[in-house]
Amino acid sequence: MDTELINWTLVVVGQILVAVGVFCDFVAALLMIRFPNFYVRLHALTIGSIGGAVVPAIGAALIAAGSPFLGMYRWFLAGGALVTALFIFILGGAGAHAIARATYRAKAAEYRPCYVDQLAEDRGEVGC
Amino acid sequence: MSFLESWITNFLTITMFFYIASFLLYLVRLFKGPTIPDMILAIDALGYDLAAFLIILSILFKNPVLIPCAIVLTLWIYALDIYVAKYLEAKEMGE
Repeated sequence: MDTELINWTLVVVGQILVAVGVFCDFVAALLMIRFPNFYVRLHALTIGSIGGAVVPAIGAALIAAGSPFLGMYRWFLAGGALVTALFIFILGGAGAHAIARATYRAKAAEYRPCYVDQLAEDRGEVGC
Repeated sequence: MSFLESWITNFLTITMFFYIASFLLYLVRLFKGPTIPDMILAIDALGYDLAAFLIILSILFKNPVLIPCAIVLTLWIYALDIYVAKYLEAKEMGE
């Protein structure tokens, strides 16, 4: 009976993580449309990539670890999901930083509802 | 079909619909995005969520063939970020 209990706790915890991740993902998709300009949408991007992809990947790893019906592939799926979660965790933030820096320097996205631009002021350029 | 298996399969099938709905919303931003970086943001979020979606699918299909695809997709989405960032700043792709 005890292995069944362990499997069930793993699956339920994994399901909670996947549910949180899916909710984060849906909210991020809505915010990606509703936010006014590029720089605010960066926040929606990292909600979508960290909350919407790393958390469900870890949840899926727990589900896979707790589901004996997968048989031979059980630990393969759990490990693969954890590795993907680690990759997304590291690369999500780094990619967002790279694209944000390039966009600011190339002024590729206008900064329309501009209230304060401390980077410009620090550089001595005219703020907003 | 033990109760645990049907429990997991039903749950993951429901989450698939939410994932597909958020993919469509990202596509709206991709087509509407006024500037190039906005489109890149939409592709980023879409790609990372697709990787998580592939993992959930590989549990549903009980077949691990999708896991390397999810890992490579994540790396490629990051590479896209770096290429576009390099192009935006220096107008060259580093060839």
